[in-house]
Formats: sequence, structure tokens, C-alpha cells
Amino acid sequence: MAGEQDMFDAVVMADERFHGEGYREGYEEGSSLGMIEGRQHGTLHGAKVGSEIGCYRGFALAWRGLLHGCATERDSKKMKVLEALIGMIQKFPYDDPTYDRLHEDLDRIRGKFKQFCSLLNVQPDFKISTEGSLLSF
Amino acid sequence: MKDSLVLLSRILAHPDSRCWFLAWNPAGTLLASCGGDRSVRIWGREGDSWNCKSVLCEGHQRTVRKVAWSPCGNYLASASFDATTCIWKKNEDDFECVTTLEGHENEVKSVAWAPSGNLLATCSRDKSVWVWEVDEEDEYECVSVLNSHTQDVKHVVWHPSQELLASASYDDTVKLYREEEDDWVCCATLEGHESTVWSLAFDPTGQRLASCSDDRTVRVWRQYLPGNEQGVACSGSEASWKCVCTLSGFHSRTIYDIAWCQLTGALATACGDDAIRVFEEDPGSDLQQPTFSLTAHVPQAHSQDVNCVAWNPKERGLLASCSDDGELAFWKYQPSEGI
Repeated sequence: MAGEQDMFDAVVMADERFHGEGYREGYEEGSSLGMIEGRQHGTLHGAKVGSEIGCYRGFALAWRGLLHGCATERDSKKMKVLEALIGMIQKFPYDDPTYDRLHEDLDRIRGKFKQFCSLLNVQPDFKISTEGSLLSF
Repeated sequence: MKDSLVLLSRILAHPDSRCWFLAWNPAGTLLASCGGDRSVRIWGREGDSWNCKSVLCEGHQRTVRKVAWSPCGNYLASASFDATTCIWKKNEDDFECVTTLEGHENEVKSVAWAPSGNLLATCSRDKSVWVWEVDEEDEYECVSVLNSHTQDVKHVVWHPSQELLASASYDDTVKLYREEEDDWVCCATLEGHESTVWSLAFDPTGQRLASCSDDRTVRVWRQYLPGNEQGVACSGSEASWKCVCTLSGFHSRTIYDIAWCQLTGALATACGDDAIRVFEEDPGSDLQQPTFSLTAHVPQAHSQDVNCVAWNPKERGLLASCSDDGELAFWKYQPSEGI
């Protein structure tokens, strides 16, 4: 009697057992494929952000050199904004993608950059692509 | 209630076009209108009628969406879909464009002057709010670019007495900003509306802010300072704003504009159902939970969406409205039963 029940058990439960095994195998494979895709996505996105901030940094440092030594009140206001921008760029935690104020700080940097351009009366036009960035003013 | 809001006159202000916005000058003697025809018109009263005193048509390449008078009444700012804001200086009946503010990436949706007259705010579809400072030589300088909203910013308005700025957005929120150590920061976000917030208006004291939305409600928000008696939580030294009243069920379409009369405290709304409504606070209603009643409703105030309502700052009960049909209308508000 006991032997018969085990045999039927094995047949009846086979579907569920294979379903479970298949799910686990699929999940593991999906997880590792997901990791790879996520890493690629992160690399691309990180590069874009880095490129953008890099542009602002180069722009800011160049202008710091150009404005250095100018003594008018208007220029000193520009210098103040410029120093604030450089400060924000330097303080930004480039190696911590889990930084909780990442987007807020990025938006503040973008805002400060726009304000500085407005004071200079310059309309920058950045085209950031994955092949390299193209700057035109 | 039907007799409470009476039509005084109607003018086709922007023929073949939409009339987008109206602004009374601080003296209440002139009304500026702007429209899809890219022009700004200045209207003045002569006896019982309103006549066009000036047309400012050379300033913009696209629709002029909003206009705002400076507190001294000598300057008019116009915000346009061409991404610029023009500053016009008044010289008798003539207006001359003295500066064009550039910087926004696309359509400028609103412009507003701070009560001090030294600051100007603009906002745009590019999701940012810009604060500009003007000096004695009429030079404008950007003092801050605020990227707090996540969508198109529809309206900006200043507090009547403090340097506190409020903005309304397609992201369903209202944000407040103030200056902190040489920079402007977002000090509060008001959430509650379920769709685009189109316009804002402070009450005469500045303690309350009314907002109107695509969700067909008006919300009234009250400011609570730290240490307030009602026990409303504040974070640190920041004031907190709480929604103390929601007016729902009155409007059948999007509410595009709201105006809080600085003389009488009456609230007027401009709605996409072509109607104008006026609400008044019930006397004796609890400050922390005020209630408002509908005291006037004109169902077919215009033949299309009403875009703007504006109370005259000096004459009690004088209300101007404008619509997608290009018309401008003047109304007399007189609540019939003693409120």
C-alpha cells in the first residue's frame, strides 16, 4: 500500500517540482543577466553625468583664469558665483552613486551654471554624446 | 446670488486670438492685457467705457502669456512663449522696451514682481524658476536659477509683504522659496492637488495661499510658524504650510486662475467651463478650518475658457476677466445679502 502511494505522489508532484526547479534556474540566470545589463546602463549614465559636470568644471576653471584680477563690482559678483559653482562641483561625491541628495545637488550645479552663464551673457550649447562631447557656444 | 456679479462691459481685446492674462496697475487706473496675437494692450477708463491707450506689439515673436506691473507702476513685464521676458518703461501713454531678459530654454509662463520692486521672478516650461535683481540703473541680473520642479512651471507669485516666492507646476505641487545666505532655496513643497496647479493667490495678510488646479479644486493653505499653538509640526526653523480648506464640487472643468481681492477678501476663479465664480469666507469660521461659500456664479461669462480674473486694487468689487475668445470683460461684484 505505502509503495503505491509514493509512486502516485511522485507523478502528481512532478509538475510542481519541475516548475519550482525551472523557476529557480531561470531566476538565477535572469539575476546575473540583469546585473550585466544594469552595469552597462550605469556605466553609460554615469559617463553622461560625469561628462556634463566635467564640461561645467572646465568652463568654470577657464573663466576663473579669465576673470582673475578684474576689479569691478560686477566682476566680483561674477567671481562669487563662479567660486560657488566650483565649490559645488568639487564637493560632489563622484564615487557614491547611492548618495541620497545626488539629483538635488546635480540640479543645484546646473542652476548655478545657468546663472553664471546669464551673468556672462553667454548661451552655451552642450551636445553630450557617447562618442565624445562637442562644445559650441 | 444671480445678481451678485453683473456685467459692466465687454471688449474684443485681442481679435482672432486668445486673451491670456490681465493685470491692473497698482493705482487701479490701467489694465494691461496680453494675448496670442503677440501683443500687450493697455486699457484706460474714459467715463463709462474702457479704451485702448497703447499697443505694445514689437516686443515678442510669439504669444505673450502673462503681464505684471511693478509695485511703483512705472514698469510692465511681459512673459512670452518666445522664451524671453520684456521689461517696458512707462512714459506718459508710451511704453518703451528697456530690457529683454533671456536665459530660459523655452516658453516663459509667468512673471511677477516682488513687493520691494527690486526682485523679479520668471518661470518656464523648462521646469525652472529664475529670480532676477534690478538695480537703480535698470540693470537686471540673475541671482538664482531654481530647478526644484520636475515639470513645466505654470505660475509664480510673490508674498504681499515678505520676500517669499511661490510657484505652481504641472508636477501637481506648489513650491515656496526664500533667500538663504546669498542663494535662493526651496523651503516648502505643498502636495495635495491631483493634477496640474495652474495658479496661485495670497490673501491680503499673506498668511494664506490659495491654489487652483486641473483637478477642479481650489485649496487654501495656511502658514504655521515653528512653535505654533496648534501643534502643527515644523522642521527646524522653517515654517510649514498645511491645507486648511478644499473647495470641490463647484467647478466642472479645470480652474485656470484664482484671484484674492486685497480689499474685500473675496476669491474669484476662472474656469474652463466658461464660468466665473466668487467665494467668500463664512463669517466666524474657524481660522484653522475655514469654510467658504459660493456667492456668485456666472455660467456663460465668456463663450470659451476663462483664462484670467483680476480684482481692481482700488475699487471694491470691480473685477476684470478674459478668455480664449479674445474678449475682456468688466464685472461689478456686490454680494446681495449682507455677508
